[in-house]
Amino acid sequence: MIRAWAFPLCALLLASFALSQEPGFKVPSVTLAPVGKVRVKAGSSATVELDFRIGSEFHINSNKPKSDVLIPTALKLSSAEPVSVAGLKYPAGQEVSFPFAPTEKLSVYSGDFAITTVVKASAKAVSGNYPVTGELRFQACDRSACYPPRSIPVKFEVAVEGR
Amino acid sequence: MMIAILAMLATGKYLDRTRARRHGAPSMVGDVRGVSAPNFDLATLDGRRVKLSDYRGKAVLLNFWATWCSPCKVEMPWFVDLQKKYGNDGLVILGIAMDDSESAKIAQFAHEMGVNYPVLLGTDKVSEDYGNVEFLPTSFYIDRDGKIVGKGTGLLGRGEIEANVRKALASPLADVNKAQTSSAQAHDAKAPAIAQ
Repeated sequence: MIRAWAFPLCALLLASFALSQEPGFKVPSVTLAPVGKVRVKAGSSATVELDFRIGSEFHINSNKPKSDVLIPTALKLSSAEPVSVAGLKYPAGQEVSFPFAPTEKLSVYSGDFAITTVVKASAKAVSGNYPVTGELRFQACDRSACYPPRSIPVKFEVAVEGR
Repeated sequence: MMIAILAMLATGKYLDRTRARRHGAPSMVGDVRGVSAPNFDLATLDGRRVKLSDYRGKAVLLNFWATWCSPCKVEMPWFVDLQKKYGNDGLVILGIAMDDSESAKIAQFAHEMGVNYPVLLGTDKVSEDYGNVEFLPTSFYIDRDGKIVGKGTGLLGRGEIEANVRKALASPLADVNKAQTSSAQAHDAKAPAIAQ
């Protein structure tokens, strides 16, 4: 009996929350695809690709937007010894005009995009798993409105093989 | 099915009321027409303080914007024109900048856009009071009696903005205000200047 009511009840609650929101209210989403464990030998490095997906309908500024007032997409990563991260590479933005400014081209990401970074293990590294953490900051817009800047956490693990 | 729909609507309304009670203000979610515009006390770019209540008797277009919001930039020249066109009829446009950046940067941006109306520095409190302004631009059209007569979220057409401005100017108190010219003039003397 409880099970029979559980689904309609959940649907009812979700619909109620939706109805209580602003009409047309949407939350822009950017998600990071799962990152497999990065394997690096002590004294060497590996390139890591971080794949992000932007929710349909939205775009975010590229890392090099065309104006100083626009907020660039930026990834910040940090790690602890014996692992270091460096050499972030952002993709070039797509140059797109939007209905709100048809004569102006903005440099944006939409759909899927990837940022690469190089992970290095020091020569004296001891075998083990080491986390790399950080955040991706972005500011999203759709075709008629913009949303406040947000950040999402970024995390992956580096497995170091010591010498 | 009907019962389920009615229950959903009732729950939605209940959540609205609960949220409103928590903030001690009327609900600013959904259709806000007829709701009294929440008062605020915000700093201008040049360090003055401005309250919404300073403009009682005027029609107010309250525009939430940010320098990083490209659609907001499209509306600004229209607001400049509307301020010129309807300023003498009692329209006051107030821009609320929701930037985190320094006021000098916002001022420079507003100057470059030729803004001829006061720009106020937004706070989380004013955003919350106006129903958590989550996307920009968002504008509220407030009549001379302080009641909201319209709301626009996202970039609207100039025609729609102007229609809302006319609605705000055409409030029932308009005739009363005309009759109370002397009192309105006294009020104007106290109210902050429109031009920056």
